[in-house]
Amino acid sequence: MASQTQIRRSSRFTDPFFYVLWLIVGSMIFALMLGAAWGNTLISTTVQVAPDEPRTFAPFEIKPMAIGAFRADVEAIVPENRWLTYELQLKDNQGQVIASALKQAWAESGTWYEEGESGSWYENDLSAGFDFRTGKPEPVTLTLAVLEYSDTSGRELEEPVSFAITVKEGVVDTRYLWAGLVGTSLLGILASFSFGQSGRLVIRRRVPDSEVGGRAILGGSKNLVRTYVDIKGDANAPPYITVQLSITNSNGAEVYQDTHTVNLHQKKSDKGKVTSTHGKLCKFFELEPRDSYKFYAVVTPAQNIDNTRIQVREKSRTFRPVEVVSVQALL
Amino acid sequence: MITKIFVAIAVVIAVFTLTAGFTQQAAFVLRQEQQTQHWPRHGTHLSGVYRSGGWAPSSVRSSYSGFRGGGPAAGK
Repeated sequence: MASQTQIRRSSRFTDPFFYVLWLIVGSMIFALMLGAAWGNTLISTTVQVAPDEPRTFAPFEIKPMAIGAFRADVEAIVPENRWLTYELQLKDNQGQVIASALKQAWAESGTWYEEGESGSWYENDLSAGFDFRTGKPEPVTLTLAVLEYSDTSGRELEEPVSFAITVKEGVVDTRYLWAGLVGTSLLGILASFSFGQSGRLVIRRRVPDSEVGGRAILGGSKNLVRTYVDIKGDANAPPYITVQLSITNSNGAEVYQDTHTVNLHQKKSDKGKVTSTHGKLCKFFELEPRDSYKFYAVVTPAQNIDNTRIQVREKSRTFRPVEVVSVQALL
Repeated sequence: MITKIFVAIAVVIAVFTLTAGFTQQAAFVLRQEQQTQHWPRHGTHLSGVYRSGGWAPSSVRSSYSGFRGGGPAAGK
């Protein structure tokens, strides 16, 4: 029985859900950009606040919002080696406190010495942020107070502290959006690695030799057959080997046979010595009709090849167009 | 196919994070005693709780030397 072979690049086996997944990732990126730009600035100024002399800002109106919340962002501007505790306080129009939050800020520097080398370091944590929303419209005022200010030896300081303060309304919490972007991106990456294992495993055989084969009932129309040949060689294996892959049907007739060049990658030890080599051949087939097919791979040169494995999966999918060898028996 | 499962999980993640982010579920809700979803930013922690219609400073807040009960500017 004769057969006809066609090789063409095909997107018929691409999985549309993979693109849906990355569309969701794209939506998260868009939402993140939109969320970061959302909101109006109510207060943006730089002030000086002395310890025990709180600074109150002009009142502003708060109201329930469907999207976003109010946000007060404060950054203390202090010299190096300072410890600072400051408080943000919200009061209603009666002057009653309705919320307050503390920030323990610091800015420290020093010198490091290690193995005869030295340098300087500087680290700080000076920013505070407070997001709030309300169930009823009302005017509120924001107060900023320095509760404690000292140098890193603990000596209290009376000098005023500069703060950059911004109050915005309708601000979106991008922390959730970042988490969503990371989570969906990880799923997208995992999905792209999952295609190698997609479909039903019909042949899997490993032999400590340079020739391996297996037979199974597979194929049929619209059925992508994914074939892997894994070659593991020793340190003396050449950088390129050839793999002759053949497929015979249930009558013993060869329906496909071709020789492929495969690059063997070297695996090195910590000392840089080559310990083993590894190469992989991946081929896609569409075999008609559904039949019992034998897949056989012969690696040459055979010496220095430790083991060869063949793995065949049917009903496989891809995430991008691939070159498919279509073999059709002619009746 | 595993990508269908991944899409389902991604949809759940996207809906949850977009809803939580755009409706600001982590923000402090004024005049509300229960604040189960509050998630502080930049290590800025509440220095009290809203209880029985008023703000009750926490013990951490009361320990500062300048504290006069009710926070800065109280009584001024």
